[in-house]
Amino acid sequence: MMDIILQQVLNAISLGGIYALLALGLAVVFSIVGLINFAHGELMTVAGYVLFLGVLFALPLPFAVLLAIGAAALAAVLTERLAFRPMRKADATSLLLTSFAVSAILRVLFQNGISARPKPVPLPSALSGTVNLGPVHLGAVPLASIVVTVLSLVTLNLFLKRTTMGQAMRAAAEDFQVLRLMGIKANRVIAVAFGLSGALAGISAVLWVAQRGSVDPLMGFIPVLKAFVAAVIGGLGSLPGAVAGGFVLGISEVLFQAFLPEAALPFRDAFVLSVVIAILIWRPEGLIPAKTARRS
Amino acid sequence: MTCGGAVRLWLNIPVTAWTGAALLSLGVAALAIGLKLVLGLNGENMATLVLLQISAVLALAIFSGNSGIVSFGHSAFMGVGAYTAGLLTMAAAAQKTALPTLPAWLAGHETGLLVALAATAVVGAVVGVISGLPLSRLSTGSAAIGTLAFLIIIHVSLVGARDFTRGSQTFYGVPRLTTLWVALAAAILMIFAARLFRETRLGLALRASRENEVAAAAIGINMRQSRFLAWVASITCATLIGALYGHYLGAFSPKDFYFDLIFTFIAMLIVGGLFSVSGAVAGVLMLALVIQLLREAEAGVDLGFATLPQIFGLPQLGLGLALLLTIWTRPNGLSGLGELRLASLTRRPDEVAPKPLTLQAQTTPTKQSLAVRDVTVRFGGLTALDHITFDVPMGQVTGLIGPNGAGKTTLINVICGQQRPTSGSVTLGGQALSALPAHRVAAAGLARTFQNIRLFDRLTALENVVVAAQGAGRSRTEAEGIAMAELARMGLAARWNERAEAFAYGDRRRLEIARALALAPAFLLLDEPAAGMNPAETDRLIETLERLKAERDLGILVVEHDMRLIMRLSDRMVVLNKGQKIAEGSPDAVRSDPLVIEAYIGTKRHHNDQLES
Repeated sequence: MMDIILQQVLNAISLGGIYALLALGLAVVFSIVGLINFAHGELMTVAGYVLFLGVLFALPLPFAVLLAIGAAALAAVLTERLAFRPMRKADATSLLLTSFAVSAILRVLFQNGISARPKPVPLPSALSGTVNLGPVHLGAVPLASIVVTVLSLVTLNLFLKRTTMGQAMRAAAEDFQVLRLMGIKANRVIAVAFGLSGALAGISAVLWVAQRGSVDPLMGFIPVLKAFVAAVIGGLGSLPGAVAGGFVLGISEVLFQAFLPEAALPFRDAFVLSVVIAILIWRPEGLIPAKTARRS
Repeated sequence: MTCGGAVRLWLNIPVTAWTGAALLSLGVAALAIGLKLVLGLNGENMATLVLLQISAVLALAIFSGNSGIVSFGHSAFMGVGAYTAGLLTMAAAAQKTALPTLPAWLAGHETGLLVALAATAVVGAVVGVISGLPLSRLSTGSAAIGTLAFLIIIHVSLVGARDFTRGSQTFYGVPRLTTLWVALAAAILMIFAARLFRETRLGLALRASRENEVAAAAIGINMRQSRFLAWVASITCATLIGALYGHYLGAFSPKDFYFDLIFTFIAMLIVGGLFSVSGAVAGVLMLALVIQLLREAEAGVDLGFATLPQIFGLPQLGLGLALLLTIWTRPNGLSGLGELRLASLTRRPDEVAPKPLTLQAQTTPTKQSLAVRDVTVRFGGLTALDHITFDVPMGQVTGLIGPNGAGKTTLINVICGQQRPTSGSVTLGGQALSALPAHRVAAAGLARTFQNIRLFDRLTALENVVVAAQGAGRSRTEAEGIAMAELARMGLAARWNERAEAFAYGDRRRLEIARALALAPAFLLLDEPAAGMNPAETDRLIETLERLKAERDLGILVVEHDMRLIMRLSDRMVVLNKGQKIAEGSPDAVRSDPLVIEAYIGTKRHHNDQLES
């Protein structure tokens, strides 16, 4: 019994962590360029396939993982360069639709270029086993996932607080004009924001694949939909909000999964999203609203 | 309203909108009937589908086109309509085999299409209200994601409600009642509904808030309420069209109403033109053709000398590219902002001096004043305003000046309800403005202009002013007369039908003042009205304002850096410095006040000394 409860708590935190990383990636980009990036899920898919290829060619796992994360970051920077930079002056709706189109195009390319069917990604057996802490047996993947999430969040926090680029990004999120005053090139900040968001998508993809064991062209679709919702609950464009929203969403999913009666289980997502809507009625700006400079 | 003997408005909506919709309907009908005649049964099928797509895209446009919030949820709401109506019209025998566990109260109705549509409309309105309440509270960006949440919620519910929908299995046995004629009737109704909705009070208010939320609130538009009402209307239409789509398909499953469908509709709407009904129709026609061609090419094309490979998802790829190219090259869609209309019917409204409103505003006693009482605003440790008290009397011009950082902007925001004071209040005729939400300030009798001009850029000059006059409770006919009179006062009458974005800087400032005056305010707040104007333009502005002061019972508060303008125009002046009121009185008294000289010139000399040393 103890095992089951602890395992559920662990699952909740690890799922929440993945949503948090994804929502954070969305929030980093949104806070700076005002783009809600639909193509974020395709960045996950890129990382998934690179990981698949790495494992296929028997690269050492850490190397394959780094390669996958790097590929997602690179893909993010490339989409910015090719699709979003021509739109720098556009309003939020046009940006959203651009990413919507980019996402649809990439999905078709994956389906034709690689395969419409899922590809298995065999991971080392150490990851599929359980960890025994005294009398309690816990899944290795959720544990590892929590560790990776925490490390990523700490590193990101250090980057944003301690480096010049990180500070520039935080300043730009509140008021983009500040960049000019700081003498920092806007294009570089935006490129770094996209790269960072891609890397976060890559990390989440690796964790996601580790739990599912396969990749397919649509793998990023569902988790990123959830991440959108998480970013909105937290407060669109707010980084602490994205993390909070991710955990709220992940934890409520696992709780509903565990405690809903059998007959209601197919409606789990509807229940979860109803909770989300209740939160938004209570706080329309999100749990931790973003700070932005307002000029009259 | 008549002009040159011709009618300009019919049922409070411009005649050009009626004729435009009729013209569009004729074109669509001719095309559909032509397809049937030329291609026979195949063509009839194709035409029916395209007509349904037109209807669905226009249902989406009623909300998205006017509010500027793209909805990703509409396809799922269509699904709700398809299942609801399908359950009602299905033959009882077929229903028994397909849905053995259907609750008895829903089973075996075998209604006709019209009864089913009526029931669907009720369901649609209820679903629209339930989803609209939270949605209308969200900011523009979050609202788009909110609609995405609806898409998922409804999809999951349709899959989960197995007793009613057969879950993810095919829902079959729905009679194919949507003929070409039914679809044509639906498309024509939707063309009129969408085209006329744009011109209604609600549609115009929503378009204004799409262009500029802050300015819309300042002329009394309640954006939340407008979005809510438009959403309910749009969702009700979408469920009805969904019902017809279900009776066209005959058999369907929840995934038919999921992402691919809404992606197609959004692409059609954006490529054609989000902001134009004619554009939306053109977009559907164009992309329907593209999809048809790509679907045939999907299996691979034999070019004689070479064979193109089979590409899975080619229509999706085509739609994505079309969407991308449109946004890059023509962000307003292929049709731009224009609507199909008969140019010969476009008439300029007559100018009409406003009759006093019987309803509100002007009934307030004339000798009241706008009273700023002991207003303090603190941002953390910074005191932006420190116990400020003064009056803006009726019938006079009060000038508010102060060096940069004096707290002028904060004071304006407090007066207009955009910033709550830490303590103190601003009252007008006994009403505390500082406690009202921003969109209620106009009705209390205060109109304003903005330092960084806020116009409704993609609306015409006339629409910019009409929307304000309507906000003050005028009918469209009255509003147009008043709007033309105010445009004429500001010297813009000749350009009534041009879009505000085309106006030069000085004209934009004047258009903003015309819009504020159309509210028939008791008090007018002008925030740097002469900024960016050349001396000749400033002179004309001063003349206009002086005439206004003589003509109307109006209290004016002017914030301005241009000393020439403010000294000439003001009856009284208030001077702020570092959050405190340092002087108040006639322009001459203020000019010679040592504190004012020190605040302005003293610091400047000090500054110069520093520069020289």
